[in-house]
Amino acid sequence: MIRSAEVMHLVARRAAEFGVEIEGTVHFNLATAAARKDVIVNGIIRGIHGGLESRRKSITFIQGQARFLNDHEMDTGDGRLSFDKAIIATGARNTVPPIEGIDEVEYLTNRTALLLETLPGSMIIIGGGYVGIEFAQMYGRFGTQVTLLGRNRHLAPGEDRELSNLLADYLREEGIAVHTGTSVKSVRPQGVEKVVTALVDGAETHFRADTILLAAGRVANIDALDLTAAGVETKAQGFVQVDDQLRTSQPHVWAIGDVKGGWMFTHVATYDGPIAALNAVKGLGRTVDYRVVPRAIFSDPTLAAVGLSETEARSRGYDVVVGSAPADGARAKAIGDNRGRLKAVVDKATCQILGFHILAPHGDDLLPEAVAAMHDGGTIERISKSIHIHPTLSEMVKAAAKAAR
Amino acid sequence: MTAFDYDVLVIGAGQGGLPAAHMAANVGASVALVEQGQVGGT
Repeated sequence: MIRSAEVMHLVARRAAEFGVEIEGTVHFNLATAAARKDVIVNGIIRGIHGGLESRRKSITFIQGQARFLNDHEMDTGDGRLSFDKAIIATGARNTVPPIEGIDEVEYLTNRTALLLETLPGSMIIIGGGYVGIEFAQMYGRFGTQVTLLGRNRHLAPGEDRELSNLLADYLREEGIAVHTGTSVKSVRPQGVEKVVTALVDGAETHFRADTILLAAGRVANIDALDLTAAGVETKAQGFVQVDDQLRTSQPHVWAIGDVKGGWMFTHVATYDGPIAALNAVKGLGRTVDYRVVPRAIFSDPTLAAVGLSETEARSRGYDVVVGSAPADGARAKAIGDNRGRLKAVVDKATCQILGFHILAPHGDDLLPEAVAAMHDGGTIERISKSIHIHPTLSEMVKAAAKAAR
Repeated sequence: MTAFDYDVLVIGAGQGGLPAAHMAANVGASVALVEQGQVGGT
């Protein structure tokens, strides 16, 4: 769907720059874009079922709602089974924030927002994190008038502020009304519209739109599991407590992925899975290593990062050098998007990379060079002194690395 | 021999549960994988 938004953006707003002249008007067909997405997703699901089918002698797939009966038995909806070890991998979902009137209006979540059949004329997105930013740009490019209300003073709180502020500027340039530092007070229906009342810079402000998308906060999917019956404890926010071997408070039960909180990314769940399985089956006692967890907001340009920001590194006592380079290399110019910046945060004493932050086209695909270097404690020279293909976007990664010397 | 139906129960067939189930099976465990919705996660 984000790809459809990119294509729409290029065709509707920028085609002429590239010599592509369009006679007549350009329309976006949400149903066609959704159908394309469904073909891709259904192919993935078929592949998963095929993989499970090929392992059916060792993996029994059961469709049903799991509920612990005790620490070694589970009800699956139409039967019960006993198990020696268990791995909880139920994930998390978007939470509904405690906003006055929220139960009185219809709203979208990150799931249902991908199921719309007709394009909303206008949308208010509550939440300025990863989900809020991605949906804001996507629906904005589809043609919806989008208002993005972030609670934090900066979009993507936790990420490099210079980069997240630049991204907010780019979203505004595309016509998205971005408000940060807001406090949403109430929502109410008014005819076919919804009215969101929020404090913006201390002033009560009313926003109106056809639709509301909630993108603020996540909660673990544990409600139906009856973890208490299994003797599995949760943390204050409702996520499952685990140790560095992913073991819960119940020694023969492990938890992986979003349900344990922390870094809630698909790639972390995929990393966790085999570790928990080996610990459960073989008792290997393997520990997770979250020193180097890459992350990306699939915006355009993409905000991708790994490790510490400059501020975080300094607060931990590092004497740092920051290499900063604009994302305006030859390839970026050829692509037609030379906005953004790349920053390398380096430990002055050891030249080790502490963090890498990219706001650039395909930033998500540019980051792994820094991730791989950081994984085994590599220095910035791995990037700054190695040869990079010209003309590629990766030259900009090298430029930031060279600037950190 | 184990007194249990399965060596390992994996709850959730998303992008964490699936590799966990496959790895457990790879190293010889009998695995039950329970999913209440669509496989693959979100």
